[in-house]
Amino acid sequence: MPNSELGRALRESTVDVLEKMFFAQPLEEPAGDLPGAVLAVKLAFEGAPSGALTLTVTEDAARQIAADFLGEDESEISGRRVEEVTCELANMICGSVLSRVESQATFRLASPQLLAAEAWRLDPHPGEARVVHSVALEKGKLTAVMETH
Amino acid sequence: MAYRVLIVDDSPAMRAFVRRVMELSGFDLSDCFEASDGAEALTLLRSEWVDAILTDINMPRMDGEEFLKQLAADDLLRSIPAIVISTDATEARITRLTALGARGYVTKPFLPEQLREVLEHTLGVPDAE
Repeated sequence: MPNSELGRALRESTVDVLEKMFFAQPLEEPAGDLPGAVLAVKLAFEGAPSGALTLTVTEDAARQIAADFLGEDESEISGRRVEEVTCELANMICGSVLSRVESQATFRLASPQLLAAEAWRLDPHPGEARVVHSVALEKGKLTAVMETH
Repeated sequence: MAYRVLIVDDSPAMRAFVRRVMELSGFDLSDCFEASDGAEALTLLRSEWVDAILTDINMPRMDGEEFLKQLAADDLLRSIPAIVISTDATEARITRLTALGARGYVTKPFLPEQLREVLEHTLGVPDAE
C-alpha cells in the first residue's frame, strides 16, 4: 500500500475521531518533538497490512481530551481515567484508518498498551512503511504514527 | 416510552461515553446497565430484561461475535435487538456480524444523533413528526 494512501487515511481519521468523539478542534502541525510530559500508547493490529499505531499526547492535552470525552471536570478526572480514554482514542484512530484502507478485508486490533516514558521514542529503523500525523490541540499536541510491515 | 439498554464494552471510558451520548442525544433512556464482556452480559440478562443491547466486538473472555452467537441460540434472549458499536467499518465484518444476528451497526467515530437514529430505528420508535 502506498504511504500516501496510508498517510491520508491517518490524517482524516485523526481529525474525524477528535472532532466527533472528543469534541476537539485539531489544527494540523508539523511533526516534531513533543513538549513536556506525554502519555504514549501502542496498539498492534493484524490484517493486510499488519503493524502498529503509536499515539503520543502531551499530558495536559490528554487530560482535556478525557474530560471532554466523559463530560467531566478536568480537575476531577483520575490519571487512570485519562489513560483509559487515551487508549480508547488510539483504538478509534487505528480502527478508523484500517477501515478506510481495508474496506473489503477484516482486521484485528490488539489491546492498547501504555508505554513507559522512555519507550515511545520512534525506532530510527522503521519497518516497511511509516506515516506520521501531528495536530495541535488547545492544551498541547497529539502525534499518531502508523507503521506497517 | 422509555427504554432499558445494556452496554457491553471492556473499556469503562467507552461505556461511560455511550451512556452520556444516549442522554445527550435525547434518546428516551429509563435504565442503563453495563457489562465488560459477553459473558458478564449474559449473566446480567438472566436477571434484568432490556429493550436493546449495544455491544463492542473486541473484548476479552467472550468477544462480540461469540456473544451474538450465544444470544441467537437462547430462546429467551434472541428477541432482544443487539447493535454493534465498533471501529471496524469493513464490509466483511459488518456482513458477518449481521449474519450472526446484529440488528444494527454503529461505526466509531459517530455523532450522538447517529447513535440515537440507529437505536430508534432498531426499536421501531415512531418519528416525532
